Amino acid sequence: MILSAGDVCKSYDSLKVLKGVSLELHKGEICGLIGPNGAGKSTLFRILLGLVSRDSGSLQIHSESSKPLGGIIEKPALYGYLSALENLRVFARIQGLELTKAELENELLQVGLSPDRTDPVRNYSMGMKQRLGLAIALLNDPECVVLDEPFSGLDPIGIRTLQDEIRTLAGSRGIGILISSHNLVELGDLCDRLYVINQGEIIRHGPAREILQQAAKSYLIYGTGLKASKTLASADVEFRTGSALLHLEGPNIHQVLQHLTSEPGITLTACVPQTNLAALFEKTPG
Amino acid sequence: MRNLIRTELFKIFRQRKTFYAIAAVFVLEAFIMVSAYYQGKEFLDVFLDNLRESFEFQGNLLNGNLIIYLVLNAFWFHIPLILMIVVSGFLTSEYKDRTVEAVLLQTVSKRQFILSKYIAALVFTAFILIVLILSTFAFSYLLFGKGDLVVFLDGLSFFDSAEALERLLLAFLVGSITMFFYATVSITLGVLFQEATITWIIAALFLIGTTLVLRLEFDSDLVNLLFFPKLTDNWQYVFFAEIPYGVIVKKNAVLIVYTLVFGVLGMRVFEKRDIT
Repeated sequence: MILSAGDVCKSYDSLKVLKGVSLELHKGEICGLIGPNGAGKSTLFRILLGLVSRDSGSLQIHSESSKPLGGIIEKPALYGYLSALENLRVFARIQGLELTKAELENELLQVGLSPDRTDPVRNYSMGMKQRLGLAIALLNDPECVVLDEPFSGLDPIGIRTLQDEIRTLAGSRGIGILISSHNLVELGDLCDRLYVINQGEIIRHGPAREILQQAAKSYLIYGTGLKASKTLASADVEFRTGSALLHLEGPNIHQVLQHLTSEPGITLTACVPQTNLAALFEKTPG
Repeated sequence: MRNLIRTELFKIFRQRKTFYAIAAVFVLEAFIMVSAYYQGKEFLDVFLDNLRESFEFQGNLLNGNLIIYLVLNAFWFHIPLILMIVVSGFLTSEYKDRTVEAVLLQTVSKRQFILSKYIAALVFTAFILIVLILSTFAFSYLLFGKGDLVVFLDGLSFFDSAEALERLLLAFLVGSITMFFYATVSITLGVLFQEATITWIIAALFLIGTTLVLRLEFDSDLVNLLFFPKLTDNWQYVFFAEIPYGVIVKKNAVLIVYTLVFGVLGMRVFEKRDIT
C-alpha cells in the first residue's frame, strides 16, 4: 500500500466538508473517487497532497521516494508566459532537478507533447495543458499520482488519450493513481477500484465493476427483432428504433441476455448499462 | 533554496510587467528630472536672492548635484508605489494562476517558497535601485554638470562637489533600506490579501498613510524613534551640516527590525494558511 487515509475530517467554520473519510491506494492501482460537485473530492485531494490541513484523522504515505506524491488539482496550473519546456525546467529546478534539454524534451515526448513548440503555454489547448501538468506531476518519479478532475474541459479524444496515458503509468511504471471525477463514464472502465463520496462521506467503495453494477438500473440493448421478444414482453422495457431500454434491478442481466440470444429471430449487437447516478450517490441506509 | 531564488528571478525577468515597471521607473525619472530642474530654479531664486546681496556665489548652483538631491526627494513616494505594485504581483499573480499550488505540489516546503519570494523581491528592489542610481547620476551630470550643492534642511548648507557626491551616494544607500522595507511589506500584503487588486489598494493606502504620518510632528522622541512611518526618511539626515550617524544607525536598525517583523509575519501566515 502506498497511500492510506483514515477517518479524515475537515470543516470550514460550521460546514463539515469531510466526515471521517478513509481510503487506500496500492502500487500500480488506478483508484477512482466519484461524487457530485461539492461532495468533498477536491478538499480530500488537497489534504492528501498537503495543501490543506486536516482537522483530525490519519494520513500515511509508504514511500521512500523524495517525492512520494505528484498531482494536479482541478485544471493544471502553469506559468502561461513560459513555453512548455521552460515550465518543465522551472518545476524541475525548484525541486533540485537539473535536467538537460534532451531530458526535458524526452519528458514532454512521453506525454505526447512536441518539444519543438516554443510559444507560451497560454496558447495551448486544455488537453495539452493537462498533458504538461501530468509531465510536471511526474517529475522526480513519484510513486503515486493524484489527479483531480483531469478530464474536465477535454473533448472525447482528449479524454481517451489521457485515459491511455494513465493506464500506461499504472501498468508499465507501477504508479498508484488516485483520480476523481463526477462522471462515472470517465472513471468506469479506467479504474480498478472506486470510492463514492457524497456530502463529505464515503458512501460505498469496492471493485469498480461491482460499483458500476450496483449503479446500473437499466440497460440499453441493441439488436434486431427485439420487439417480438417473448423475454422482453413481460419485462419493464421501452422500445426504441433498433434498441430497447430495459429497466432491471440487480445483477440478472446475464440471464436476460442468455434468454434473448436463445430466442429465434433475435440478434444482439450490444448491451450498454445505464447507470443511475442518483442511486449511486444515495447513502445506503444503516 | 538557491535554485528556488534563481527560478524566482528567472520568472520575474520573463514577465512583461517587469519591463513595464522598469520603463515606468525611467519615465518617472525623466518627469522628476524635468520638474526638479524648474523646482531647483525656484528654490535658488527664493533662498539665495537675499544671500546674493551679502555673499558672492561662484559657479552654477543649478547643477547635477542639486538635481539629484531634488530627484531623491521625489523618489521616496513614486518609486515605492511602483515597487509595491510590482513586487506584490510576484505573489498575487501566483495565487491568481494557482501556480503557488503547483509549486507546493513539488518537493518544496511552504517556508522555502515564501522565503524565496521575499529574497527575490529584495534582489529585484536592489536591481531597480542600482538602475535608478546609475541613471540618475549619469543623466544629471551629463545634462547639468557638476557643482556645489546647496540644501535647506536644518538650515542652509553648502557642500562642495566632491562632498556632495559622497552625501548623495550615502543618501541613496540609506534610502535603499526604506525601499527594502516597502518591498518586504508588499510581499506580506500579498500573503495577507492574495487578490491582486485588493493588495494594490492596500499597498497604496499603506504608502500614502506612511507618507502622511511622516509629515506629522510628534513631541515624543520615542514615537519618532519607534513608529515606522517616522523612519522612512532617514536619508535626509545625510544632508545635515553635521551628519548624525548615531541617529541614522539607530533609526535604520529599528526599520530593519520592522522589515524583519513584517517578513516573519508574512511567512508565519503563509505557512499556517491552507492553499485552497
